[in-house]
Amino acid sequence: MDVPLKKTDVSLRKKALITGILFMGLGHILFLKQQVKGAVYMVTELAALFFIAFETTAAGLSLNFNGILIRGIRGFITLGVFDPSLPVTERDHSIFIMIDGLICIVVLVLLIAIYALSIRDTLKITADYENTGKLSGNKEFLHTVSDRAFPSIGLSPVIILLTFFVILPILFSFFIAFTNYSYPDNIPPANKVDWVGIKNFVDLFGGSSAMSMWSTALGRVLAWTLIWGVTSTACVYFCGMFMAISLLNRDIKIAPFFRGIFILPYAVPATLSLMVWSNLLNGTFGPLNQMLMAVGIIDRNIPWLTDPNIAKVSMILANTWTGFPYHMLMVTSIMTSISPDIYEAASIDGASQWQKTAKITMPLVLTQTLPLIIMSFTYNINNFGAAFFLFMGAGATVGPPAADTVSTNANSVDIVVSWIYKLTLNNPQKFQYAAVLAVLVFVILTPFAIWNYTRTKSYKESDL
Amino acid sequence: MVRSLSWRRILNVAMIHIILLAVVVVIIYPLLYVVGSAFSPVSSLQGIGINPFSQAPTLLQFRKLFNETNYLTWYRNTLTIAVMVSIATLIITSTAAYIFSRFKFLMRKQLMVSFLVFQIFPSFVGMVAIYILLLRIGGLDTKWGLALVYIAGNIPYNTWLVKSYMDSIPKSFDEAARIDGASNFVAYTRIILPIAKPILTFLLITSFTGPWMDFIIPRLVLRSDKQFTLALGLFNLINGRAANNYTMFAAGALLVAVPFVALFLIGQKSLLTALGAAGVKE
Repeated sequence: MDVPLKKTDVSLRKKALITGILFMGLGHILFLKQQVKGAVYMVTELAALFFIAFETTAAGLSLNFNGILIRGIRGFITLGVFDPSLPVTERDHSIFIMIDGLICIVVLVLLIAIYALSIRDTLKITADYENTGKLSGNKEFLHTVSDRAFPSIGLSPVIILLTFFVILPILFSFFIAFTNYSYPDNIPPANKVDWVGIKNFVDLFGGSSAMSMWSTALGRVLAWTLIWGVTSTACVYFCGMFMAISLLNRDIKIAPFFRGIFILPYAVPATLSLMVWSNLLNGTFGPLNQMLMAVGIIDRNIPWLTDPNIAKVSMILANTWTGFPYHMLMVTSIMTSISPDIYEAASIDGASQWQKTAKITMPLVLTQTLPLIIMSFTYNINNFGAAFFLFMGAGATVGPPAADTVSTNANSVDIVVSWIYKLTLNNPQKFQYAAVLAVLVFVILTPFAIWNYTRTKSYKESDL
Repeated sequence: MVRSLSWRRILNVAMIHIILLAVVVVIIYPLLYVVGSAFSPVSSLQGIGINPFSQAPTLLQFRKLFNETNYLTWYRNTLTIAVMVSIATLIITSTAAYIFSRFKFLMRKQLMVSFLVFQIFPSFVGMVAIYILLLRIGGLDTKWGLALVYIAGNIPYNTWLVKSYMDSIPKSFDEAARIDGASNFVAYTRIILPIAKPILTFLLITSFTGPWMDFIIPRLVLRSDKQFTLALGLFNLINGRAANNYTMFAAGALLVAVPFVALFLIGQKSLLTALGAAGVKE
């Protein structure tokens, strides 16, 4: 149906837009017959202006354009003022100030988003009006509100929890990477934390010769993290696959018995298993060395957990013990879904058992479990437990420490995440470097996450 | 078809059996070692030797664990946290998943993609911020503070997981209910939730078992021995004192592992089905 455009229609849009830009919601009330929605918008802007303009002081409210939002953002920029004349407990706490500032920034971004939304809404309503010649008014808005109540209420705990316990910490961690928050000179409240630009990145990536031990440590830890990620994933995956293929062999009569035993490590929490292995592999008292000695294979204790290189092998082996059952289960479930016709056809063509495994089973399973392999890789890159619990009996360092271990806290089996842990919770605390490492983890892992996402059904059907 | 039993084939089968039996030994030995140590009268790893069953079994280690440490308190703490986390995760993420699966709204796509990115961050990347936030709201050294961190961390991945499952439930089911006058909430609780039961069971189990052996977040949040979870308590039992408390640790580990294995064996079938759906199909 064609409704002829009248000149007044266009002026309505103009009027609503201008008033709406001047004060959020004003256009809705004056021109668009949406008093309820307009009032909500106006109250929001009034609240925002209040928190920008008024400061609550001991004397009451004062209009000094130093409201909580302004102070929060200013604090985020300055990170407080260092005043040595004050007692330590009363000095500015840069980190609190920074987090408060971040919260203020998040709130401000939300307010701007709401403002943009109100403009968008104005455009939508006037466009509708220009097409139909009618304004829907409050009724339709209230109807939408009741319709939207369920999704809004249902999602609000998710949004609140994620904002404060996931997004805010990630943002915080990102910003800390650009400060000097570290022991001994910049630990609040005794001292102040300052912005230092990209200095920490320069330190860690070898741009500063005074900090060369940090870049050496980073190179070492990064190399081991990647080697660890690849080998540990390959080990759990192929061990799991080997077990799955073996157990589906029709000549193995007691497969259920074997399978029942093999899933036990999956049922036991990995942390416990690793703690147990750290005892079994104990260089001096561990039963493994004693056993090998009794059989006569070795005549000297093997330093399973204290020699830098052997410790790495132990780490991969212990992780394989805890991790292969999961992959065995996955591969089994895929293999049972492969049609037996393919094998039958191969048999008729004279394929041997090994040929069938290598040419049919392996490729099919590999392609189908690719997302699983990627998931497992990202899991292992983040596998704090394997780098930590296995070596706890041996204390903080493993074996003869690398030259930089004393100052950087990174020993030879540390992967990035366990190093982050140590830099944050062990002395001397170096939060700023831990934050740089967190950024690094993000850079390493995001491509994998995105790749996995592009493979999902919802992405492919573009029906996300 | 007659299958010929060639030597080659017999050799092949024998080889596989030998390998599988070797693996059985590698898997069973550490487990039996823990069981044997838990019932051993000696306290150190050194005194146990290769065969932990060489001495007469005793409950000494369990008695020491109950009397000399706060083990039972740790157990109760962990159980409380696990129950809080699993119930809250179940309610919050399944509702969110339903909304993402059935409603169109602003920023929906961006939110889902950002969940995917959040999910790759180990939760302790922002641990300093989490610490300070909890300090501000009085959640340090409390069970609910720790539970809050876990619940938030559970949301991104599990929302995806449950959403993909709910996407596979035909929309006509809840639409039919709505035509009959059911509200969104009723359609969700009466129609969708019962159908999604397998994935919800999986969610309940994984979010319940998660907090049991997590270490970093409790280490950050909990300060006093009375508030410790099992992972912290057991870790402190053997950390630093090398292998001296080993058998007591073994007793404590056994009391965690046995219910876990039992739970696993009971729920094995539904767990595996859900795992298959979660990990592979997408």
